[in-house]
Amino acid sequence: MRKLLYILLVIAVAAVTSCKQDQYYLFNDVGRVQFGPEPNRIYTTSYDLADTLKPYTFYYEDPSVVQDTIFFDIYAIGGTKDADRTFSLEQEQIPNAVNAVAGTHYVGFGDQKVNKFYVIKKGTVHTRVPIIVLRDASLKNSTPKLKFRIVANADFQLGEQNKLWRKIEITDRLSQPAQWNASFTQYYFGKYSVVKHSFLINSSGEKWDNDFITNMYAVGGLLSYYQLTMKTALINYNNAHPGAPLVDEFGEVVVFP
Amino acid sequence: MSSCKKDQSNYDYKDHEKITVTGIESSYTLISELESLNLKPEVTSTDPNANFEYLWGIYETNVQGSVPVLDTLAKTKNLNYLIKQAAKGWVLVYRVTNKNTGYSQYINVPVNVVTEFTRGWYVAKDDGTDTDLDLFLTPTSIVPTGKRENVYSSINGSKLPGQANLLSFLTGYKSTVTGVLGNTRTLALSTDKDMATVNVNTLKKIYTLDNIMFDTPPVKGPCYTFLGSGAYYLINGGNIHSIVNNSPNIGKFGGRFLRDASNNPYQLSKYFMSNNSGNAYLYDETSSSFFAIGSGYGTALSSISDVTGTAMSATNTNQKVLFMGIKSATYLPSPALRYTFAGCAVFQDKTNPSNKTVSHVEMDLFTMKFTNTSLTSADKLYNAAHITMPFGQENILYFSIGGNQVWSRNLSNNFEKLEYTVPAGEEITFIRHKNGTEVNYAYNYIMVGSKINGTYKIRMFNKSSGSITGNPIVTLEGTGAAKDVLYISPSVSEFTHNIQW
Repeated sequence: MRKLLYILLVIAVAAVTSCKQDQYYLFNDVGRVQFGPEPNRIYTTSYDLADTLKPYTFYYEDPSVVQDTIFFDIYAIGGTKDADRTFSLEQEQIPNAVNAVAGTHYVGFGDQKVNKFYVIKKGTVHTRVPIIVLRDASLKNSTPKLKFRIVANADFQLGEQNKLWRKIEITDRLSQPAQWNASFTQYYFGKYSVVKHSFLINSSGEKWDNDFITNMYAVGGLLSYYQLTMKTALINYNNAHPGAPLVDEFGEVVVFP
Repeated sequence: MSSCKKDQSNYDYKDHEKITVTGIESSYTLISELESLNLKPEVTSTDPNANFEYLWGIYETNVQGSVPVLDTLAKTKNLNYLIKQAAKGWVLVYRVTNKNTGYSQYINVPVNVVTEFTRGWYVAKDDGTDTDLDLFLTPTSIVPTGKRENVYSSINGSKLPGQANLLSFLTGYKSTVTGVLGNTRTLALSTDKDMATVNVNTLKKIYTLDNIMFDTPPVKGPCYTFLGSGAYYLINGGNIHSIVNNSPNIGKFGGRFLRDASNNPYQLSKYFMSNNSGNAYLYDETSSSFFAIGSGYGTALSSISDVTGTAMSATNTNQKVLFMGIKSATYLPSPALRYTFAGCAVFQDKTNPSNKTVSHVEMDLFTMKFTNTSLTSADKLYNAAHITMPFGQENILYFSIGGNQVWSRNLSNNFEKLEYTVPAGEEITFIRHKNGTEVNYAYNYIMVGSKINGTYKIRMFNKSSGSITGNPIVTLEGTGAAKDVLYISPSVSEFTHNIQW
């Protein structure tokens, strides 16, 4: 009798759990849209959540540059169509944060300058979403965040829940490049600080932005070269300032692992 | 249910088909862009109704970072193909398929593609100001039959600045000389003012000190390039740089290693003990201390710990190194699974320069142990100039004294013996020992370089029980002063010669 009860219990559990909705959508579902990594990374699961946050700074740009464009990759699922399909975006306010203001820090999603590009062309399933960021004077002393998400419309329903949003941190100050990620921190240059970042720029004459870091990975031996030369530069700085080693904005002595 | 299972058993009891291919040699050596593969194989099969189709292909060996691709050469029974491949090792593939049965027979044959530069004795020499290379051609045996003088400058347009030092050979060195980043058989020519990596297939320089690092070095020379475990090293102006060859790289040396966390200055000796199977052991003349680097990694030189029973500490020795070199590498079985080195060093006390010592050195990981024997002025080694230590041979040193005599010192019993005296007027410029085991090109030579009236001679003697025997087997002659010599052939790799003084 007890055995029968156990069997019934297992069946009941199986019945309940099997009712859970699959979070993935099929290729032949209705048209849905969601963000994703660059096209060459879409089959690499470790890149599923790549590019969710893109820090951007005007710091390196000439003062004459008053706006720039940041791109995100977006994908339609559910197959192609013979007609162009539009998608819609809207800003999402982040609690307890300095949120970017449309028209001040970025061109609003309703503005024709940008939303005319919110189109998945006929016969395709991918496009790049341009976000125009504006160089407002306030960016010299603040880093507003722009979080935006996809909104369902007549052409598209929503895609996977965790791929519906993207975020940009906009500033005109030196800021942590997206490529200064956990791996870069752990294995190469340690915890990010603006002081450390400035030191690297001044010591090497390089930008230490995303492109520079990406190139360091691409050229065999270059990353090790900069590890060694920047470590040497830091030692030389500290030797030249006895008792006053380089300290970052958090009050911590700057070190390279 | 089981009765419904389809019987898929094989009831064909015929013998396996056998396809026989004859008329193809076991290997080929061909000069690129000059010689052809002309092959007319005979093909038979045990299948009397065999209907063959053919495919010839070739793929390269010693590929790193990519998968070798079979390049189809022909789909005919015979092959007539002008070799155009780069000079290196390749494998010719001949596939014969019986279309009746689908059965294929594969024949794989090594093909050594060479140029006129890929085999011979290379001599690093200088005219007192600039360095060049002479090549002695050895088409049929280790004894040369021809000579190409000043091949480096004739191909590259100018000599390499400075007086010649070491000549090294690197086969895992990365370059894009073929258009794709890959292993390149490379001569590393070092002088007291510069260095150059040279593609041995074409003798075109790849990099010099101006561009072989990611930045421009503040000093130029003296340079010494040598091989370590998974790494190449370059000492330039007493500072050391590495290429970690176990990691992706583009053939450029990295930054200057730190001596310590305070970036104290250092000045490395030109002598080193390094081998492809273990750490590189170096000597800092500033701190009179030994250091090591493992596999080219890290940002600072690693300090050496002392071993119980050592005659002196590896740190603050107060000694000047007059010579050091490796004698042997010994593999330690599990659980160690690593090589240890044994070598020899000759020291001169910095405080009392008349005190000299010859030391048996044992190296394991980041430890060193010294067993010292004092030298007196009665010892010939006391006044030695050029010293060398053979690797993997007898426990012996060869050295010159008085500019014209070659002596040996048996390090097991300290017996010293006059081995050879160069003719009057000649001055010895270097002594080396090198050996090779290639079929028809085997040698085991003590090499004595000398100069007279702006010309050099390199005499190569057979060695028996540690001593020179007979007259020179090979004598190389040319203009200038020779400082090093190296035998290169398609079968020589960077592991063939232990590069040291």
